[in-house]
Amino acid sequence: MENGVGPAFSKATGYEYKGEAHGSLGAARFIRDHLRTPDVFISADPSVNRNILMGPGNGDLVTWFVTLASSQLVLAYNPKSPFAPKFEAASVVDTKTPWYEILETPGVRFGRGDPTIDPKGYRTLFLFSLAGKHYQRQEIPALLGEPLNPAQVLPEVALLANVESGQFDAGFFYKHEIVAQKLPFVGLPPEINLGDPRFSDSYAQATYTTPAGEHVSGAPIIFTITIPKTVQNPAAAEAFVKFLLSSPDLLKGFGFGIVEHQVGGDREQIPSDLRGLCAGAYKP
Amino acid sequence: MMQRPRPTLLIFGAIGSLLLLNLVLPIANLLIQADWAHWTASLRDPRAGDALRTSALTSTITVAIMTLFGVPLGYVLARGRLPFKQLLISLVFLPMVVPGLAGGILLLLTFGPYGTLGGPLSAWNVALTGNPAGIVLAQLYVSSPFVIISALVAFTSVDPKLEMAAALLGDSQWQIFRRISLPLAWPGIAAGVTLAWIRALGEFGATMIVAYNPHTLPVYLWVKFESNGLKGALPVAFLLVVMAAVAVAISTLLGRLNKNESSTAVPGAVRGNLA
Repeated sequence: MENGVGPAFSKATGYEYKGEAHGSLGAARFIRDHLRTPDVFISADPSVNRNILMGPGNGDLVTWFVTLASSQLVLAYNPKSPFAPKFEAASVVDTKTPWYEILETPGVRFGRGDPTIDPKGYRTLFLFSLAGKHYQRQEIPALLGEPLNPAQVLPEVALLANVESGQFDAGFFYKHEIVAQKLPFVGLPPEINLGDPRFSDSYAQATYTTPAGEHVSGAPIIFTITIPKTVQNPAAAEAFVKFLLSSPDLLKGFGFGIVEHQVGGDREQIPSDLRGLCAGAYKP
Repeated sequence: MMQRPRPTLLIFGAIGSLLLLNLVLPIANLLIQADWAHWTASLRDPRAGDALRTSALTSTITVAIMTLFGVPLGYVLARGRLPFKQLLISLVFLPMVVPGLAGGILLLLTFGPYGTLGGPLSAWNVALTGNPAGIVLAQLYVSSPFVIISALVAFTSVDPKLEMAAALLGDSQWQIFRRISLPLAWPGIAAGVTLAWIRALGEFGATMIVAYNPHTLPVYLWVKFESNGLKGALPVAFLLVVMAAVAVAISTLLGRLNKNESSTAVPGAVRGNLA
């Protein structure tokens, strides 16, 4: 966002762009607790809108959202890792070196997000449970140990720092993050990478309960965009949403997948200029 | 007896209290808005207790190491005839300029499992990141400059004539350090140690990168904020304020004990400088 999409938007429209990156849950809580008043809110999970920002309990800070793009989980690795050749072999089509066998190798260090605070964290748990079924190998989920296994679990920035600096051999990330960081990665099949809406039903069979007692279940990784009630520059906000909804190639170049722009919440609240770019209703 | 009001002090007091307000208001606000029932409940969470213990333990170890190594370093920098002394002193300031996040990445590159030093050590099954050792490393990195610089300044301000007089009377260099330089420099050093301790307690950026687990209080505060929002974070913020107050109280107490027990006059350490 800060390095690619934001500058492209400024160049195309002349509006200034100021971005602030947080985990989706954290960003939404910032907005709900009135610590930030953004013009536009992009979430990596549609449910974050519903759970934290929509409805009278949350001050109706968001009344609608539009699905913007999809992403998928990938296994990124450090090119200087002693195991890099193996990961490279695993990343070709019809490989004889499945990625999970590399992770089983003694001495391989891999990291993943924290399921307590980061949807990517629990999505990685889903990925492993789906992989166990997909490859019919029940020992795959066991590679993770405890859901909060301290040897693997790191917050977003720290995880990236550890893999980029080579302290971890590999880690699970969103594809668009890795495209931006220019790290090599192993792509994973659509049945398990949570990036393909066609597999929604089988994704949903993977579930997790956070330490705070929230139940979450697997769903395709969909980014949403909305203009919350906190908007201070409505014209610029509309221009930004319009720009993103009508630039599929730009998003594709940054590693995102293209999706229909479905509407969650109240379609009537969408600025009329944007409504024409939207498709049918979003069904979680 | 009424003292005559002194205009300079009054004006300085008025100016200074504005700054004081900026420091005190946010914390006062925290206490005014406190939801004590919810707070006590959330602080009874065993994870809060674990974070409290981790912070208390690691910051205390950090303070001990900083004092043991930082005071001699400050003395050498103050009294030694070193080549490139100014450069060395600037190096000590460096960690204070580098943001915690960057500091954490630098530490990781050095002490991580594939790091310059951490790599060979991990062959011996010694891990310096992702555990309390990593937390201490991060705290040392960001807070030891406070001890070193305050020791340097404090030793420099000791009148060299006193040290020379002792030397003329036949005292060894160690005796001069022990009986003259250290006692006279102690108030300044103790103030630096207190600052460093508080800085270590509040360390977040580097710690999160080097050792996310076990959570220290500042890391736990962030995790609570990310997972529960303000409601989750405020009680932990309160706990941190309390811990900082306890650290200052302990430092003050130690300064006083020192004054009463030692034969040479050691002024109350923190009282003299922070109060």
